[in-house]
Amino acid sequence: MTRHIRGGGPLVAALAAALALTACGAGGRDSSDGEAAVADPGVTDDTVTIGGTFPLTGVAAPGYSEIPTGAKAYFDYVNEQGGIHGRQIEYIVKDDGYNPTTTSTVTNELVLKDEVFATVGSLGTPTQASVADYLNDEGVPQLMVSSGSLQWGDDVENRPLTFGWQPDYESEGKIIGQWVAENMPDAKVGLFLQDDDLGEDAEKGVRQFVDDQIVAVERYTSGNTDVAPQVSGLQAKDADLVLAFNTPSYTALSQLVALKTGYKPQWFYANIGSDPALVGSLLERFSEGAVAGSSAALDGVMTTEYIPGIDSADDPWVELWQQVWDEHGDDGELTNYRIYGMSQAYAFVQALEAAGEDLTRDGLVEAIEEGGTEWEGPQLAPFRYSADSHMGISGMRVVELEGGVGEPLTDVLVTDIGDAEITTDDSGQADDAPPEGGVPTS
Amino acid sequence: MQQFFNTALTGLTLGMVYAAFALALVLIWRSTRIVNFAQAPMAMLTTFVALVVIDAGYSYWLGFVAALVSGLVLGAVIERVVIRPVEGKAEINAVILTLGLFIVLHGLAAVIFGNRYRSFPAPFGLEGLTVGGTTIALNGFGVFTIVSVLVVMGLLVALFRYTDVGLRMRASAFNQEVARLLGVKVGAMLTLGWALASVVGSLAGLLIAGGSLVHPSYMDSVVVFGFVAAVLGGLDSPLGAVVGGLILGVSLSFVSGYVGSQLVALAALVILMLVLTLKPGGLFAQAPERRV
Repeated sequence: MTRHIRGGGPLVAALAAALALTACGAGGRDSSDGEAAVADPGVTDDTVTIGGTFPLTGVAAPGYSEIPTGAKAYFDYVNEQGGIHGRQIEYIVKDDGYNPTTTSTVTNELVLKDEVFATVGSLGTPTQASVADYLNDEGVPQLMVSSGSLQWGDDVENRPLTFGWQPDYESEGKIIGQWVAENMPDAKVGLFLQDDDLGEDAEKGVRQFVDDQIVAVERYTSGNTDVAPQVSGLQAKDADLVLAFNTPSYTALSQLVALKTGYKPQWFYANIGSDPALVGSLLERFSEGAVAGSSAALDGVMTTEYIPGIDSADDPWVELWQQVWDEHGDDGELTNYRIYGMSQAYAFVQALEAAGEDLTRDGLVEAIEEGGTEWEGPQLAPFRYSADSHMGISGMRVVELEGGVGEPLTDVLVTDIGDAEITTDDSGQADDAPPEGGVPTS
Repeated sequence: MQQFFNTALTGLTLGMVYAAFALALVLIWRSTRIVNFAQAPMAMLTTFVALVVIDAGYSYWLGFVAALVSGLVLGAVIERVVIRPVEGKAEINAVILTLGLFIVLHGLAAVIFGNRYRSFPAPFGLEGLTVGGTTIALNGFGVFTIVSVLVVMGLLVALFRYTDVGLRMRASAFNQEVARLLGVKVGAMLTLGWALASVVGSLAGLLIAGGSLVHPSYMDSVVVFGFVAAVLGGLDSPLGAVVGGLILGVSLSFVSGYVGSQLVALAALVILMLVLTLKPGGLFAQAPERRV
């Protein structure tokens, strides 16, 4: 019986809040009407419970399933040092198999059953798009979505509680496009695009600079592993520079097909598809067939970087991540995906720190909007968080891979969506080091 | 011109894999009169067996043989243990059972072998062959695929047409009671049918895996396309299955290359509908009187 009463409390509160909201027509922020005594769900004096959904199984699992293990390790590291404002971070990870229907179900569980304070780092464009409106309606912050789609940050009015984290695909497309226009003006450019937001946003950015250089555009459907017709299409138009915006498995597949059809352009893979360790492990077995094994598989390929990865082992941030992983990680090595998770977790911890001792959802959102651009962290370029934009990291640098290590070809370049200019970053973010103890302080 | 040629060649090799898979479906249809939807995960399991053998340091060919042998055993065991209890009942029971198997085997493979992508080696070079100075989209492994599927087709035609065992298998599939009266060991024939079909399925698994990436659901698209290929060929004829596979492989390759890769699955269904409307028994149906 008591269970019913306890379970009913938040529901009634939520209903009341919903009614109040409809009445005043606001966009989903609650608890601003003087009920300061009632804490937001997921927060107690000594804990804050957050959740995240990731593909732990299925086609998208390779690589991506490692992200929450990295985040978890960092939260454990912070908890060991006493947590933030005396609160331990409890992190609940759910598997959605990269299937939007499942995402809805497990997100419902996180909100209604686990009563999380916020979701943090949940992964995927189609998956998170399916729950964005629900989370905003329920007043649950959807923080630092692991995807470069524009929709996490460009419409603050409709999604006031949603925040991006990684650089968006359009900005990445712009930076890559400008680099090509300046450094390879005679190249015949072919685009190899995933046929969804990833390819669309990126194409928009690239076309701003190299529209007249593009000779071929090929799109593949994620899930269809036969990309031979697409690669043949690029080859037929004699594209000698391929800008590819695809997931890691498709980097491996496109390399295999190119080998088969004797196609040897300069490849430029966007950050999302270029993890040398993962692609190398996929191609390793084919080394006899003239694909170089392991990390050398992508030698000479160009890509971009926005956080330091395992290839720069003496970067102070990577040293911290290595220490965190050694002390709190599961089995397995530290990988770039785990570093991604940790970097993201670091930003969330910064937000918690900034939100102060009286933790509320509103307070957290405000803290990110007000201070986000100033936060120093592993990211090479600052965040763009403000009251008007929830876009994440503002830039990246272009690198060429050699033995799995990215050799910088440019400084860190920053920009924004639309026709914002591309400039060299002067914030010094790329050269900072983590604070003593590895936990951010405000 | 080169694009046209390359698209056709990739379609050809892909079509041969669909054909191999369709052959397995035809084999089980001819010997037991059911459609086995669990064919794909069965083939996936045996491919992983090959991967384990190869990972242990043995040669590709030992892994190849291991996969075919485990296919034989797996097919026989599944028939004896899972399918046997519903044999003689309505055919739909067995078909639904194979759908269940599909899910179980998937889960099993994920538990045993993990869910990540892994690369699967090929015994021949992966670089395209060079003809008259240009590289064509056909490598050694592609040639191997085409040859082995044609050989298997020949063997199946010979089995059903010229051997005593083949005749008994068909007899027990058509009418168990009469076959039994004539002295055919029906049970053994059904087991044999499953076992052989599973071997052919394993071959299809190995052919599509070679020089590419495998994970527990890598065969899933092949289920659909292999099934379409088999139906195109009339479900009854090995030659029909191969022709159906080729038609499907080449047309889907062209759709993907010239129209758009998002339309591939749709195109497969359109082809299926066209054939079933114009020639309901499939392209190679030979005995309409049987449909009474």
